[in-house]
Amino acid sequence: MKCGSGIEARQVDELFINIDPIQAGGRLTADAMKAIIAYGDGYSVCDNCRKPNRLDYISKPPIAEFHKDVASWLNMAAVRTVPGARRGFQAVAQTYVNKGDPVLLTSLSHYTEFLAVEGAGGIAREIPANDQNLVTPDAAAEKIEAVKKEYGRAPVLAFIDHVDYQYGNIHDVAGITKVAHQYDIPIVYNGAYTVGILPVDGRALGVDFVVGSGHKSMAAPAPSGILAATAEREKEVFRTTAIVGDVTNRKFGIKEPEIMGCTLMGATLIGMMASFPHVKQRTKHFDRELANHRIVMDALLSIEGTKCLSEYSRKHTMTRIDTIASFDKVAESHKKRGYYLQSALEERGITGVIPGATKVWKFNTYGMTTKQAEHLGRSFEAIARENGIAVKGAD
Amino acid sequence: MSKRAVDMTFQAIYTLTDIRILLRETAPSHEFDIHQEAQLVRLLENLERQVGSLKQEMLK
Repeated sequence: MKCGSGIEARQVDELFINIDPIQAGGRLTADAMKAIIAYGDGYSVCDNCRKPNRLDYISKPPIAEFHKDVASWLNMAAVRTVPGARRGFQAVAQTYVNKGDPVLLTSLSHYTEFLAVEGAGGIAREIPANDQNLVTPDAAAEKIEAVKKEYGRAPVLAFIDHVDYQYGNIHDVAGITKVAHQYDIPIVYNGAYTVGILPVDGRALGVDFVVGSGHKSMAAPAPSGILAATAEREKEVFRTTAIVGDVTNRKFGIKEPEIMGCTLMGATLIGMMASFPHVKQRTKHFDRELANHRIVMDALLSIEGTKCLSEYSRKHTMTRIDTIASFDKVAESHKKRGYYLQSALEERGITGVIPGATKVWKFNTYGMTTKQAEHLGRSFEAIARENGIAVKGAD
Repeated sequence: MSKRAVDMTFQAIYTLTDIRILLRETAPSHEFDIHQEAQLVRLLENLERQVGSLKQEMLK
């Protein structure tokens, strides 16, 4: 079925259980889908834009109220919507990083944090994760000292992922922030896998900025996200324009250079807003998500040779798994080679695993029903048995 | 054409959206439990009523 010339209607989530690691938290709520139908047109949210003509001042639809609600929910002073977490990283990097400045990242940081630093002319210095793939406050202190030795000054900014994209491990952001603040280093909390999934309290964490991803974790269309700041930092990153045209003498009111005026409009913003009440609620019930994840993990780990590469027991629903000694052994002699796993999963109505991956791969169970988690777990076990891999507890 | 016709058009799309969500929640088998079945029946009845109103408004 087509939804436009040459565009196939996407029915992935209607026909399959989708375990793609980055898609789970961004699936839309019914309200977001409905809002998008009404607000899909380009400047749809701007019908009632009045002076001072800025997106976060619009009260109909209640965009101004949404901004205040998100700030209060994250326990931060101010929020702006941005086209994806990466644009939040970029806004902060452009504010604080000058050419040649060292910036602290981690060995598990997302590439967009590196690009934000690069774009601002900074130099990346990574805090190494330990052998459990965790970034610790001690390692942060050690790296800051090393940077000081190398540059004669501390890093000007630090990006710390609360849950990293590689393992889905939870890192001690509060502890790292405490260390960084001793050196006056502002902290950008990367909540791409937490804001909208878990409760996040920016003030309790002590961070200067909270960045969230709408399309990754707030049931919103792409590209969308939020950038929140403390009262102290808000004046810096959300400073207003001062530029004046030399011929026209034009000025641009209260537009903010880092946000590029009104950035997130139409379907993306309205989708994020429509999902927000549901997103707020769901963060209170993450225990249910972990219970469903456990069903799948128990099944996977009952398959001989399968290992969990993420911290265990799991504290997040995105997990990195090692099936080199299980599913990958079958791939060596299977006529479909590594593609047999994806094919066997699809026969059972499951999608989202990278085609051909049988060695190390990630999956996410966020948003699944218990029935779907049970089906997924049973399917992994059945595929293992069918291919001669022993399953613990099987008949 | 009336505001009611426009409203009914949106209502019908929204009802179909609720059915779409039900399909997502029950993928891949689309086997409904007793509550989901009752919900589906209610949604389909609403949809019929909305399409009926739409016919009345737009074909009169």
